[in-house]
Amino acid sequence: MVLKVFRWSPGFRERIQRFWVPAKEGMTVLDALLDAQRRLDPTLAFRYACRVGMCGSCGMVVNGRERWACRTLLKSLRSGIVTVRPLYHFPLVRDLVVDLAPLAEQTARVGGVFVPGEGATPTAARIGRDAPERRRIDRAIECIGCGLCMSACTMVANDPRFPGPAALNRLFTVREDSRDAGHGDRGGAVLVSEDTLMRCHTQANCTEVCPMEISPTESILALRRRAVRRLLG
Amino acid sequence: MPKRPRRILRRRWATTEGWRDTKAGMWAWLVQRAAAVALLAVIVLHLRNPFVPAVQATLLGLVLLHGLLGVRAILLDFGLPVRWHRGLLVAALVLGAAIFAAFWGWRWS
Repeated sequence: MVLKVFRWSPGFRERIQRFWVPAKEGMTVLDALLDAQRRLDPTLAFRYACRVGMCGSCGMVVNGRERWACRTLLKSLRSGIVTVRPLYHFPLVRDLVVDLAPLAEQTARVGGVFVPGEGATPTAARIGRDAPERRRIDRAIECIGCGLCMSACTMVANDPRFPGPAALNRLFTVREDSRDAGHGDRGGAVLVSEDTLMRCHTQANCTEVCPMEISPTESILALRRRAVRRLLG
Repeated sequence: MPKRPRRILRRRWATTEGWRDTKAGMWAWLVQRAAAVALLAVIVLHLRNPFVPAVQATLLGLVLLHGLLGVRAILLDFGLPVRWHRGLLVAALVLGAAIFAAFWGWRWS
């Protein structure tokens, strides 16, 4: 099979490099990249850690779609040519490696950070698995910050002030948490700003690519309904 | 040392790679916007001469497309599960085609 890989490093022009890799049964895109790196070009840069779909480090754009390289079987792509590019909308570091810092920056900017209340103990009070507030955010708290949703979101591309699906999903989980004391500080400004919730156009690209099967679109729509209710008193 | 400008990749819409794997929700959004722009031109044509069947049919088609995709967006806004969004797109297109066919049979055939 042919692996077409995006190559770039600071000071050099971007290019697509082709690697011929012998495809084997059960081989993933990450396996193919490792094979290319070990046998053909040790300077090829990409990021991975757990190799089993837990950490989210190996997020990249494979054949036009954001995926985890370690969980994408070559067979599932049904193509003899596999194109691999780095995630969109993140600063490039080198080749397939991007800087995921904007994910944390945007999350902090919208106030998606838990604020303990006065007198809170170091170990937060437990909310039962069956409690309604827990069930509302049950899926949304599984985000591991892989950045695939940010890459797939067309609004992130067009509006740098739009915090993106991951940050807003995190904000949703914090706002639904009764132990959080930061609701007042976050106020309505973030929620009703035209560059925040209103910028989401419900294309659901983030939902489609999320490997954890979270729907950030759902979280954004829930926040939007909350904001509208607040506006209407 | 001067700070090097950050390099950020974006989908290039002028390339086939940029359109690769464009998803259903994106198509729904794009088609609704395109129908709105096309409506402006067709309404002008319709106002000049309201009795041209081809313009009437185009106008109806665009209104159905724009309106029903708008209803889809409103239903999602009001809390229908987002996992239904592809089904809602299909439903909007099928309903639009059915209404258009019924009108076609009644008015223009």
